[in-house]
Amino acid sequence: MTTTIPTDIAEAAAALRENGGEARAGGTDVMARANAGLAAGPFTDLARVRALGGIAWGADGGARIGATATIAEIASDPLLAAAYPALTATARALATPQVRAVGTLGGNLLQRNRCWYFRNPAFSCHQDGGDGCPARAGDHRNGTVFDTAPCVAPHPSSMALALLVYDAEVVVAGADGAESAPRPARDLYDAADPTRDHVLAPGELLTGVLLPPPSPGETAAYRRATARSRAEWPLVEAVARVVREDGAVTRVAVAAGGVARTPMRLAAVEDALSDGPAPSDAADAVAGIPGQCTPLPGTAHKAELMRGTVLDVLERALA
Amino acid sequence: MAEPYAGGVDSVNSSVYVDDVNIDLGSQALDTTVNGERTTVTPTPDTTAAETLRDELGLTGAKVACGQGVCGTCTVLLDGAPAASCLLPSTALEGRSVTTVEGLGGDHPVQRAFAAHDAMQCGYCTPGFVVEAAAFTERWRAEHGDTAPTRADIADALAGHLCRCGAYEGIYAAVTAACTGAFDTDTGVEPTRAEAVAKATGRARFTTDVRPDGCWEAVVVRARVPHAVIGRLDTGGAVHVDLLPADRTVRYTGQPVVAVAAPTLAAARAAADAVEIEYIERDAVLDTGTALRPGSPTVYADAAERGAAPSSSEGVTVPGRWDGNLRGPLSLGLRRGTAVRRINDAHRKGDDRLFAAEFSTAVQAHTALEPHACVARWDDDGLHLHVSTQTVTGVAKEAAKHWGLAPDRVHVSAHHVGGGFGAKAGLGTETIAAAELARSAGAPVRLVFDRSAELTDAGNRPGTRTRIAMLADAEGRLSALSIDTWGDGGVSVGSAVAAMGMLIYGRAPRRVRDYDVVTNRPPGRPFRGPGGAPMAWALEQAVDEIAVRLGEDPIALRQRWDGNPKRQALYAQAAALPLWRDRERGPRTGRFRRGVGVAAANWPYLLDPSAEIELVVEDGQVVARTATQDIGTGIRTVITRILRAELELDADQVRVDTGDSGPVPGTGSFGSRTTTSLGPATTEAARELASLLRGGAASGGPPSREALKAAEGLRATGQRKRDRRGFITPVPRSSEIALGRGMAGAVHIMEVEVDTLLGSVRPLRCWAGVASGRIYAEVPARNQAVGGVVQGIGYALYEQRVTDPATGTVLNDNLEDYRLPGIGDVPEVDVYFHEQGWEHVPGGGVGLGEVSTVGVSASVANAVRDAVGWRPLDLPIRPDRLLEGIR
Repeated sequence: MTTTIPTDIAEAAAALRENGGEARAGGTDVMARANAGLAAGPFTDLARVRALGGIAWGADGGARIGATATIAEIASDPLLAAAYPALTATARALATPQVRAVGTLGGNLLQRNRCWYFRNPAFSCHQDGGDGCPARAGDHRNGTVFDTAPCVAPHPSSMALALLVYDAEVVVAGADGAESAPRPARDLYDAADPTRDHVLAPGELLTGVLLPPPSPGETAAYRRATARSRAEWPLVEAVARVVREDGAVTRVAVAAGGVARTPMRLAAVEDALSDGPAPSDAADAVAGIPGQCTPLPGTAHKAELMRGTVLDVLERALA
Repeated sequence: MAEPYAGGVDSVNSSVYVDDVNIDLGSQALDTTVNGERTTVTPTPDTTAAETLRDELGLTGAKVACGQGVCGTCTVLLDGAPAASCLLPSTALEGRSVTTVEGLGGDHPVQRAFAAHDAMQCGYCTPGFVVEAAAFTERWRAEHGDTAPTRADIADALAGHLCRCGAYEGIYAAVTAACTGAFDTDTGVEPTRAEAVAKATGRARFTTDVRPDGCWEAVVVRARVPHAVIGRLDTGGAVHVDLLPADRTVRYTGQPVVAVAAPTLAAARAAADAVEIEYIERDAVLDTGTALRPGSPTVYADAAERGAAPSSSEGVTVPGRWDGNLRGPLSLGLRRGTAVRRINDAHRKGDDRLFAAEFSTAVQAHTALEPHACVARWDDDGLHLHVSTQTVTGVAKEAAKHWGLAPDRVHVSAHHVGGGFGAKAGLGTETIAAAELARSAGAPVRLVFDRSAELTDAGNRPGTRTRIAMLADAEGRLSALSIDTWGDGGVSVGSAVAAMGMLIYGRAPRRVRDYDVVTNRPPGRPFRGPGGAPMAWALEQAVDEIAVRLGEDPIALRQRWDGNPKRQALYAQAAALPLWRDRERGPRTGRFRRGVGVAAANWPYLLDPSAEIELVVEDGQVVARTATQDIGTGIRTVITRILRAELELDADQVRVDTGDSGPVPGTGSFGSRTTTSLGPATTEAARELASLLRGGAASGGPPSREALKAAEGLRATGQRKRDRRGFITPVPRSSEIALGRGMAGAVHIMEVEVDTLLGSVRPLRCWAGVASGRIYAEVPARNQAVGGVVQGIGYALYEQRVTDPATGTVLNDNLEDYRLPGIGDVPEVDVYFHEQGWEHVPGGGVGLGEVSTVGVSASVANAVRDAVGWRPLDLPIRPDRLLEGIR
C-alpha cells in the first residue's frame, strides 16, 4: 500500500492510472472506510494539487469551484452566498464543523453511499464486487423510496442536490490529465449501475464545478429530516431555489436526496409551480409525491417524509 | 474550456499551501509544527494523524473513540481549524501547524471555564470539546465581541462532539462564560470536581492512554455466524488465546472466538485476518417472534447449556422454568387472583377506566466513549492490569481467582475511567485476553475494543415487550394492575422489568410476570436503572392515560396514588412550577405543537457495606487511598470535600488517589451505591484521623500545617457504618451488597415540541426533581442528574440497536448509525433536590445515578401525547413512527 502525493493534475492522473486505488482529498470518507477496513488504497492524495482548489469567477459572472475547495470555504464565502443561496444553505447544513473544515466539494459529490451493509466488512454486495444486495432482504429502513435499481442505497451527496437545482456542470480530467468539455453534474450518476456511486472511470479526476451566472434576488431553502437536531445523515433531504423577476416568481427548482440511487430533481413539482406560485400553492404541488414513490417493504415511511421535506423547502423559499 | 477562468478572475483561494513536495511515505519523515514546536515525525504509511500524535508523540489528550469522525474526541486544530484527527491522514500534517489540547497551555479561558462550570463527567470527550470550543470562542469574540452566544450557536459549533455522560449543561455554561471573557484571567475560584483541571487539559490518563515500553497490541477475532460449533481453529502461529466456552459453541455473531497479539496494531490486525475458523453451523433464531414459534431452533439445547446462560440482571438471577427459548415466568403479586378477576370483568364490561396496551422498548447500547480496554503485564510481583472498569476491587478479586493468584499478586489500576453505565462491571474479555496474551508474549499487551465491538458485544439494555393492564375504580383509585414483560436480551436471561411494578403505587392488587425470550444475539448487561427504565416507559404512560381518561391532572392523580412521602414532596414542587401550571391545555394545532408530560421514578437503595477507605499523612498532606474508581460520577470530589470539611484543610493539604487495588476494599461503581457506601466511610476515617492527630483529645481545632508535617505516616481507616435499624437484607460485614430501607424517588416534567410535518420531537425544558437525600457535592450531583435526563432522551427518541434479520450482525455498530443525543438535543434542565427522608442512613443521602434516568423516557412520551393526542407505545419515538401515529 502506498500513498502518492502529486502536486499537479497531470501527476495526479498519472498516479491514479498507474496505481489504481482511490483519490483522497479531505479524507473524511476514504479514511472512515479505511479505518473500518473497507478501503485499502493505494491512495492518491490531492491535498497539494493547487489547481484543484479555490473559488474563481468567470467573465459571464458564474463561479468555478475547485474540486478540493472545502465545504467550510463554500459555506463561508459571502460572494457565493449572494450568488447561489441554495448552495450555501446546503453546505452549511451538512455534516459537522470538523468534517466541513476538511471535507471537499469533490469528495462530497463522489463519496460512497452510507448503506450499513456496504459499510460492514461482514457483508458483500454489488458495490464491493459481490453480486447481491443483503439490504434488500434485510433491514433497509434508510434505503431508497424509489425502488428502481438493484442497489437500494440512496445517494449521500447533499451538494449534488444544490448543483442539480442550478443545472451546474462538472469538469473532469481524463487519465492523461487533460480536462474534457464540461458535462451536466447529473451525469456523474447512473441509477442503473449498482456497482458504484458515480460514473467516473478509474483514473478520471473531477477537477471542478461550473455554476451558471447568478439570478439576482433568488431565494432558497435547504432541509434535512432527521431524528436529532444536528449531525445526522438525512432520512430525506431537499433543496429549493426560487427565481423572481420584478417580484414575481419566474422559476422554481427543487431536488431531493435520501430517496433514490441518484440525487433527484423533481420536475413534476416544478411544473406544478411554473405559473407565479405563492407559498400556499406548495402543498398542492407536492401532494402527488407519495403516489409516485415505489417504496421498498421497509421504506414506505419515506414517502410521506419526502412530501413533508419538499413542502418545507418550497414554503420557505417561496415565502 | 477553462478559458474564462485562466486568469483566476477575482480568484478567491483561502487555502494555505506549502512548498511543492513529493513524499514517499516509505522513506521520508514529515516536518510539522505541533503545539508551536517544529518537529519531525515518521509515521508508518497510511496511519492517521491521531495515531501519530498519540503513539509517536505521546500526546494522548486527543482520544480515538469512534474512528469515523463522529464523536469528536480526537479533535485537534489544523492551522487553527478543528479537524477530526482520526480521519486526517498523517500526510496532512506536513508543513501544517497542529494544536492539541496539550498545546492550549492549561490556562486557556475555555479550559478554565470547563473546569469551573464542571463541563464534564468521565472526561473522555473533554479534550475534544475543549479544543473545538477554544476555536469557536476565538472566532465568536472576533466577530461578536465579548457577548454571549445563544444555545443554538453553541450547539452548531459543537455538533461534531458527543458526550455519553450528558454533561451538556455545563458545556453550554462554560462556552458562554468563555465567550464573554469571564475566564480571561484566573478567577481564583476552585473547580468543584477534584480532577477537573486534569480532564480539561488532557493530562488525565485513561486506560487507553497507557502504553508501556515494548507493549504489544491485541485484537479479538469474533464469530461471523450466529450459531455454530467451532471445529478447526488455525491461528497461523500467532500469539493467541482461545476465548471459546467449554462447549466450543458460539451462540451469536460477534462472540469472541480467539484473540491474537503482535508487536504493532497493524501486525495484530493482519494476524487476526489470517485466523481460520471452521464453523459447524447450527440453526439460529434471530428475532423473538421466531424464537417463540413451536418447532423453532433453540439457543440452548439442555439444562446444562441453559445453566451457563449469561445474565443481564444486576442481582441474583432466580432459577426459572424453560420452554424452548422462553424462560419464566418469574411471577410476583399482591392478591393476584383479585387483580386478574377485576381486569377481566372490566374488559368484559368495556370499562373506560381500564387501560390495556402493549408497549415495547428497543435494545439500548451502553457505548461509553472509552471502550473496554486493558493493558496487562506480568512481572515478579505478579499480574498488573490497567483496566477501564467500574470495579477495581471486583476485577482484582476475580482475576486472583481466575489465575489462581494470591490477592497481593494482582495489581489493578483505573485512575480515570471513560464511562461505564453498567457495562464494565467485572472481569471481561478484554482483561482475560490481554493477561493471557501478555503471558504468552512475554511483553505487556494492550487490548482496546473498537467501536464495532463496543456496540456489538460490550453490553446493552435488553429490549422489552410489555403488556400492561391498569384499572381505576369508580373513585379513581388504582383497583388492579397486571404487567407481563418479555425481555429481549439475546443469549442472556435475567429480565426483571415487570417485577419493578411491585414497588410503587401502594398495595393495590396486582400480578407481575417476567419472561426471557432468548435468541442468537449478543447478551445484555445491567444498564443504569436496569428493569426500571423499560418499566417506567409502560407504567408511567399507563398512569398518564388513566389521568387522561379520568379527566384529572396527572400530578394530582399521582399525589393520590403514590404513598412515597419523598415523591410527595416532589409532586408538590412540580405542581407549582410555571412549566406545569401554565402549560397549554386542549387540542393543539399547527405544524409545531408543544406538550408537557410528567413521569415518576422509583429506585431501590443499595449499598456496599464492606467499603473502606484509608487515610495516610504524607509530606504534610492527608492522602486518601481507595480502590474505588471514579467513572465520572464524582467520588473523588466527594471524598475530597468530606476530608476538607471534617479536618478543616486547604485544597493543597488533601490528595485523593482512586482506582488502585490494595488491601482496603473499595466499592463497585454500579447500583447507585458509590457515594452512600464510601462517603460515610470517609467521614469515619476522617474523624479517626482527627482524633489521632489530637492525640486522643475529644475536641480541638484543625491540625496546623506543622502538626500535619509532624504526623508523617499517621494512618486511619474508615468503615461504612450500618444504617439505623439495619438493612432489609441481613448481611455480614464482608458482604459487598445490601438492600437498604427506603426507596429513592424522582419526578420529571418534560416539555417537548413536535414537528408534525417531519416527525421530529425536540425536548425544550425539563424539571428534574430527585429525592435521594443529602447531596454530598452539589455541582457534580446536578451534572449527573442532567446526564440521567440526557440518556433518558436518547432512550426515548434516538437509540436503537439494529441487527440483521439473516445473520444477527449488529448493523448500526458505529456512532453514525447508533444515535446518541448531541448537545443540540438536550433541553434546558432545572434540577431540584429534595434532601430529607434519609435520616436513618449515615451521611443522610443515597445514590441518584439511576433514579435520575428511570422515568425520563416516559416523561417524553407523555409530553408527546399531550402535544399531539397520540400515545407512542414503541420506543424510540422515531420520525417514521410519529408520522404514522398522527396520520
